[in-house]
Amino acid sequence: MINIFNIERFATHDGPGIRSVVFLKGCPLHCPWCANPESWDVEPQVLYSKEKCTNCQLCATVCPTNAISFVNDRFTYDKEKCNACKACEHACTQEAIEITGKKVNIQEVMDVVLKDVDYYNQSNGGITISGGEPFNQSEELFTLVQACKKEELHVAIETTGYTSLENIKKVEPFTDLFLFDIKHTNMEKLKKITGAHLEIILENLIYLTQKDANKVIIRVPVIPLFNFCEERIKEIIDLAYSIKVKEVHLLAYHTLGENKWDKIMKQYYSNEPMVRKEDLVPYIAYGESLGITIKIGG
Amino acid sequence: MAKINIDGPQNAEVSIKIPCEKSFSEQLFIMEEYTRVHKEGKHLDKAQREINCIKVLLPALFRQNETSDLIAGRLDFLPIGFGSVTSIGGVGHYCVFHKLRAFKDVLDNEADKVKIDTLYDYWQTNDVKAIYCQDVLNEETGRFIDCKYPFMATARLSGMMLDYKRLLNLGLDGLIQLLESKNQNAFISASIQTIQLLQDVIEQQKEKIIEDRKTADESRKQELTLILDSLTHIKHNKPDTFHQALQLFWLYALCAGAINYGRLDDLLGTFLKNDIQNGTICEEDAYRYLKSLWLMIENRRTTVNGRIIVGGRGRKDIEGADLFAKLCLRVCKDTRYVEPQFTLRISSETPEYIKEMAYDCIASGATYPTLYNDDVNVPATMYGMRVEEEIAEHYVPFGCGEFVIQGKSIGTPNVLINMLKVLQMTMNEGYDPMDNEKRVGSIHVPNLVEYKTFDDLYNKYKEVLNHYYDLSVKAQMHSYKVMNDHVSFLFNSILMDDCISREKSLLDGGIEILGGTNETYGNINSSDSLYAIKTLVFEDKKYTLQEINEAALANFIGFEGIRKDLWNAPKYGNDHTECDALANDLYEHAAKGMRQRGIDAGMGYFLIVISNNQTNTDWGLQTAASYDGRRSGVYTNPANNPQGGAAKNGPTATLNSLCKFDAKYHGGSVQNIKFTPRMMQEDKIKVQALFDTYFKKGGCQLMVTVVDHGILEDAQANPQNYPDLIVRVAGYSAVFVNLNKDIQTELLSRELYD
Ligand code: SF4
Ligand code: SF4
Repeated sequence: MINIFNIERFATHDGPGIRSVVFLKGCPLHCPWCANPESWDVEPQVLYSKEKCTNCQLCATVCPTNAISFVNDRFTYDKEKCNACKACEHACTQEAIEITGKKVNIQEVMDVVLKDVDYYNQSNGGITISGGEPFNQSEELFTLVQACKKEELHVAIETTGYTSLENIKKVEPFTDLFLFDIKHTNMEKLKKITGAHLEIILENLIYLTQKDANKVIIRVPVIPLFNFCEERIKEIIDLAYSIKVKEVHLLAYHTLGENKWDKIMKQYYSNEPMVRKEDLVPYIAYGESLGITIKIGG
Repeated sequence: MAKINIDGPQNAEVSIKIPCEKSFSEQLFIMEEYTRVHKEGKHLDKAQREINCIKVLLPALFRQNETSDLIAGRLDFLPIGFGSVTSIGGVGHYCVFHKLRAFKDVLDNEADKVKIDTLYDYWQTNDVKAIYCQDVLNEETGRFIDCKYPFMATARLSGMMLDYKRLLNLGLDGLIQLLESKNQNAFISASIQTIQLLQDVIEQQKEKIIEDRKTADESRKQELTLILDSLTHIKHNKPDTFHQALQLFWLYALCAGAINYGRLDDLLGTFLKNDIQNGTICEEDAYRYLKSLWLMIENRRTTVNGRIIVGGRGRKDIEGADLFAKLCLRVCKDTRYVEPQFTLRISSETPEYIKEMAYDCIASGATYPTLYNDDVNVPATMYGMRVEEEIAEHYVPFGCGEFVIQGKSIGTPNVLINMLKVLQMTMNEGYDPMDNEKRVGSIHVPNLVEYKTFDDLYNKYKEVLNHYYDLSVKAQMHSYKVMNDHVSFLFNSILMDDCISREKSLLDGGIEILGGTNETYGNINSSDSLYAIKTLVFEDKKYTLQEINEAALANFIGFEGIRKDLWNAPKYGNDHTECDALANDLYEHAAKGMRQRGIDAGMGYFLIVISNNQTNTDWGLQTAASYDGRRSGVYTNPANNPQGGAAKNGPTATLNSLCKFDAKYHGGSVQNIKFTPRMMQEDKIKVQALFDTYFKKGGCQLMVTVVDHGILEDAQANPQNYPDLIVRVAGYSAVFVNLNKDIQTELLSRELYD
């Protein structure tokens, strides 16, 4: 069984061709700009849309575990108590509650993914496994990539690289492409903001590039107040150069995930404006000078 | 006085018509004259009577040519006259009653108004469609368009695609000679007069051009001289040049009242190629002629017609045809009109550059070309229409997407079924919850408690549907009989196989393949409803059938939970195996049921079409809440597409669902998809791969709207800013702001992929 929170079909931004992206739940990092904050916790959880809610409180009435309660007429949710029975989701007539995440068996995932094989074949696409951090469920991930390879799918994994080298070694032979996040080159800053250890990430990255640098694309979420300055971005591109990675994606920070933060009832990162794609264009030339293809967006 | 009143709109009319050029008194005079000749012709053979009548209209109703026109011929029509379709004028000897009334309202002379009343009275019992309605309309069968009924019927001869090759091969004198070699029965002799009348039309056009030339500037003079020379040539001879061929084709189509033009690349490609090869014209000249043709077609404003088809299998001169197709693609991209409905047939043999140009045209937001897949449609047509491959290769979609064989078959959609209303009657002892009328013939529809299993319900539904299939065939056949009793459709007959050899008019046994089509609506709402009932009532036992029906009867007010469950049940369009299988089962029931009844009735074919011309919205307004969670009065699903908002798994899932219906059982189905300009441009290769895969998997047709997020919403709020935003309604394109609010809302509800 594997915990997923979405399968997106006809995804066009996460690897070559037409792809289906399987989003695995659970992540050891906690990047404050995360566009999928509902993916952090591996267990299913309630998403709540305040603007749809009429405060009828039916959800609290039907909840068998008292995970939902109303304090001063304010919806409150205790994730620890919730057993994901979905009673609240069914009861709510306003569609204000949605349970995100479900445990499914690998075959169920494959059944969906295989529906679009013809489209993958036509476009040299395939499956991308994303998250969360897919290696957070490393055993399940291992089973999934094996199942995909049995079907001769092109397999991409989008990862923060924050996992054990052991895990990476196991999965690598069944993977055609790693979309590998490098968020920062400063150890302390990365640790402080996201909780990740850079040395582990780099060890994994170097292992993979030594295996086959063509199987790695470095992806950089470009975030204001974090890494959006010329020096940082260039450092990452230089890193790519030094380990023979040929492609770097600069993903401009956007605020499209903001309402998901509302739905998990947490405060969002900042009020910084989105990064404009145009501001990233100069790096294309810089990459070119090093023989690296820079793509803005996916 | 007829007991049945058929006054009222008779077709979807979105584009605003250009008013007749003649003064009101001239118009009145022509209509009175037409009526007089019709009256006097009572005892004549119908063919002779027809040509006598048409002589009142032609060439009189030709209007002034515009200074931009590079071929001659613009034709007006009046509330009374002769025609084949309701989009321009009416059917046979026709009177469009509501337009005649409107005409009366603008007259200021009382005596003239009385004249109109007299005309109105006369035509109530003589308008061909009124005569048909008199016979057919009853408590179960409504007038087209009267959406109260689950079933509508009309008389019309839509979608005639004539064999213009015969015209261009023989020329007018040649056609006359051919006709003269036949037995001179009334049909043949009237046909000769028909061609002679066309020669008179050409003569009149020449005079107009000569007149125009007197005041034209130098460059226009040259153009007019070209037109004049072509007219002079084609009056007797078969055309030699591209321009002559185009001119002859155009005037014939106008006189015939044909509003779908067919495979023009196959018709004109060789002329074009030869002219360019021998230096008569260059590509830019041809481009200008075609651009002019585009405008002249646009100006006819037929809303759902104007089909020009290029590409595909079975064309004689592929090189010339592709050259023509290429120019059309350029014109289409540059003009961005809602008509012609420019259509590209593609197959595994279509050259890459044509596909590429087509993609760019679509991506630019032109909504055209509409794509048809020959690899699927040719074999499907062979089976569906029971014809050989060489014949099936000449299938052409007309109007909103029904197929005919160019020059060989009639496929007019004269009946329409609302399958969702039929389901609702099956759930309510035969009564339509919308107006509490019982409309199930003599079928006993039991109380809901009697349905012990899903199959009990489903089988009863099929039984009621069968009743409507029976009515469909009868009504369709009867429309042919009535039209044949009164008219010969001379212009059409002359260019349709096998009328001349058989010496018989179209519906008198002349037509080689007497087909027909039945438009079905609410198919997907019905199958989604059934699937929701099957799972929620009979499998999960969460509700009883009564509870679900009660909730729907209340339009779900007070039953929001039930509605939510119904709406969240699996829906067609999401690649859901079981749900799609049920949709397919219902589709095949309708398609095969109709087809077999057609064969049994002696027709060449009678096929369902799953197209749409806003009828899904109009009919939806008068269709009660349904068991898929759709509320009362809301549009039904458009053509063969999921209900707006129901497709939640992206375009591959939707297209996979759409491919599941085997095309060989239907006579045309329409699939719409909506993308943002961003996706069409940035993800071009992926979108192309999406289309290619869909077609490889058996997709028969695709039409694409390209529009940005928020644009349609903004256009609804600020129409003044969007005078030329074109959208695909389903079987046709329209300027968004010209559509009424309900239809706009339906378009908004469809999934937009980015
Ligand atoms: S059931 Fe829905 S609408 Fe009612 S209080 Fe809960 S979330 Fe709000
Ligand atoms: S999913 Fe079940 S346990 Fe969790 S909050 Fe909803 S009703 Fe309570």
